[in-house]
Parts: sequence; C-alpha cells; structure tokens
Amino acid sequence: MSHLHVPDGVLPPLLWGPGLALALVLLALAGRAGGRDAPKRIAYQGALGGLMLAVMSIPIPLFALEYCLTLAGPVGVLLGPAASFPVVFVVSVILALLGQGGLTVVGLNALVLGSGAAVARPVYVRLATRLGAPSALALATAAAQTVSGLLWFALLALALRLGPGVPLAIGHGDARVGLFAGLTIGLWIVAIAAESAVAFGIGRFLARVRPDLLPAAAAPAAAPAAAGVAP
Amino acid sequence: MINTLAQIDYVASAGGSPWHRASALPKLALATLAIVLAVFAPGLRLQLALYAVGWLLALSSRLPLRLLATAAGYPLLFAVLYLALRWDGSWLHALSIALRPLTGSLYAVWLVGTTPYPDLFAPLSRVLPRAAGDGLFLTYRAVFELIVRAQRLFRAFRLRAAESLPARRRLPLAGEGLATLVLYGFERSQRMYATMLLRGHSGRICGCRHWAEATRADLWVALAAGAIVAAGALLWGMR
Repeated sequence: MSHLHVPDGVLPPLLWGPGLALALVLLALAGRAGGRDAPKRIAYQGALGGLMLAVMSIPIPLFALEYCLTLAGPVGVLLGPAASFPVVFVVSVILALLGQGGLTVVGLNALVLGSGAAVARPVYVRLATRLGAPSALALATAAAQTVSGLLWFALLALALRLGPGVPLAIGHGDARVGLFAGLTIGLWIVAIAAESAVAFGIGRFLARVRPDLLPAAAAPAAAPAAAGVAP
Repeated sequence: MINTLAQIDYVASAGGSPWHRASALPKLALATLAIVLAVFAPGLRLQLALYAVGWLLALSSRLPLRLLATAAGYPLLFAVLYLALRWDGSWLHALSIALRPLTGSLYAVWLVGTTPYPDLFAPLSRVLPRAAGDGLFLTYRAVFELIVRAQRLFRAFRLRAAESLPARRRLPLAGEGLATLVLYGFERSQRMYATMLLRGHSGRICGCRHWAEATRADLWVALAAGAIVAAGALLWGMR
C-alpha cells in the first residue's frame, strides 16, 4: 500500500507541513551520518534509487492482479537507515515531478517509504545469523512493508480526522470503512508476501555471489565458558 | 510509468514551444505558486480557474495528450479512495477534493515536460541537502539504463515461460534477476565514482548553469504568473 503515493491537496497542511519539515531534518541528519564515505557511496545510492524507480515501473503479474514492487526493504538492508532515507526522498521527488505523488507531500511520501527502509537493516542483522541471508532479507522486507503500510494507514486515518469541512463519512459509514479495510488489508498482505518473496531471491543470489554487499550479521551471544576448562 | 518517464524526458529536451525556451527558475516558481494556491484555495471557482490555466499551459506546450492524461490523472486513484471514505453526498465538495491533486500533478507534468532534467534539478539541488541534491542527478542518470535492463530481464523471464511457474517460485526467481541489477548498480557506481574523481569532482554536483539565464520566453511565464495571481486575488473569497 505504501506504493500508492499521496498526491497534493488531499491531506491537510497540518499533516504535510510537519511531515515535510521532519523529512528535511532527517535528510540533513542522514547527510551528516554519512561521514567521509558519503561522496563514494552517493553513486551507489543513485544506482539503487534508479533501481527502485525501474522496478516501480514494471508490473509483475500476480494471480489476477499486477503488482509493482518498491524494493524499500532490500534497499534499506543494503544501505542502512541513514543512507537509504536520501534515496527514498529522491525517488519521491522524481515521482512527484511525474505526477505520481505530490510536491507538497514529498516529505510524507518519503517518510512512508523511508520508515520501512529504516527498520529493514536492524531486523536483518538480528536474524541473519540464525536464519541465513535469504530468509533474513525476506523477513526484513516483510517488516519494512508492514511498517510502511501501517504508517500509510495512519496517515489516511489522521487525514480523515483532521480534514476540514464536512463531517466525516467515517462517523456514519462504518460499513464503508469496513469494506475499505477489508479490501486494502487484503492487498497489503499480498504486497508483503510478494516483496518478501522477491527479497528472498535477492538475498539468495547476493549471499552466493557477493556476500560482502550484505551487512554483517549480529555476532551470536558468546556461549558461557564451561566451568573448570582451561582457555 | 516507464513510457511516461521516457516520453516526458524526450519532450522536455526536444520540444519547441515558448515554455521549452523559458528558463527553469521562473517555471519552477510558477508551478510552485500554482500548486500552493491550488492546495490552499478555499473555493471551487479558484480551483477551476487554476485547473483551466494548467490545461492552457500544458496544451500550449504541445505535450502529447495521452501523456498528459496518464501523468496528470494518476492522483485520481488516491483522490477517489479518499472521496469514498469522505463521501457526504455533495458533488461540489467531491469535485473540490479531486481538483486539488489533479491541478498539482498537471502543473508538475507541465514543468518536467518543458524543462530538461539538469536545468530542473540544478535549482532544486541548491536548496536540498547535499545527499539529496546530488542523488537527484545520479538517480535520474541511472534510472533509464536500469529500466532497460529490468525490462530485458522480465522479457527473458516471459520467454523462458517463467510466468507459468507458481508465484512462490516465480517471485524469488525474479528477485535473483533483480539481484543481478543490484550488482550491476554497485559496479556501475564504482566506475562512476572513479570517473567523477578523474574529472575533478569537488564533492558537489552543480548541474548546468542555464537554469537561471533569463530568455525572452520568460515573459510568457511572467504573463501566466500574472494570470494566476490575478485569479487568486479575484476569486479567493468566492465559493
């Protein structure tokens, strides 16, 4: 669901204004976190941003639907939270310029995608030792999609509460909200499954061919030394 | 989206309308003004006026109609979803909600359809933090090459009957293919960084210097801005 970018003028300024400010602050912080490696890494970030845009443009047939991937999870794992935020911000700006998403809501769209990318690496690092790279990348991507989707739903719910003007349909249209929730949650689950399955393949290939591109797994907890055994 | 992106990129560089000849900065200011007005417009009349001016700009820039309809109509999906949740029986209110995103995307598409990307990104990269400013150029440069490779990859899957496989096998297979693009992207980035260093990269991509050079065609942009400001002043209080 995070792939359905929020356009201009639908959400109240009370929501997109702080969202834009927060995104710019995070962007500045991400730039500082890059340190000396930032210029070297920026070309890699550009390549992964280009890949995100490329896969977003190609629909994959899935049952009766066609689904466009985001790759937010794998990009989050490969780059880490700080380096992936500028990537999703740039992707959101380019999409907004193409009429997909809005210029005033670039910050919110980047936060939705970036929140998923931010949780992906910590989840991967914790799971990679126990499960191996492919499964860890799949689960990290599932976590990323879940977080992005939840934030997207939260934004929509907030927009409905904060929106000016007429009373909310939500107050006297519970059946409508239920139908909406049923439809979108179903699609959301399909999206999580599809992204995770693709991420599994990415992890399987990279673990075989270039394991150095994947982040190091967390070291397993040291086994307690056996009593009386000399080191 | 691939077609939209490629077509917009092509017409932005190859178009010959006065909007194409105008410099990027005034066009960026005009589009920003129109989008901000559309977002904050309290009444339907001003929204309709802004939408009409948007279409006037888009049509006079000779952008293909199909491209305009595709790119400028995308926000309808979200707007319809939002309207379905907020529907109160008032068509005017529904129209007001739908017009805002449509107007915003129309001006955005007009802007990118008449401005080559180095001119458009150069002013943006000066106000954005460095990681994002440089990222705009590098991402846009990478995207076309990667799209072609991704398309070739998925075509190869289809030719090898990968679509007949069950989804649980097909999707990881697609992932393995995409991982080759990750590898390609990584190696390409190493080469590009080396090239940037050889060319004397100072630590910042500046873009070209045409974006702020005034031309005679900027008068058209000033005229359009005048029309938008006049519409805003006259119709702001009207419902």
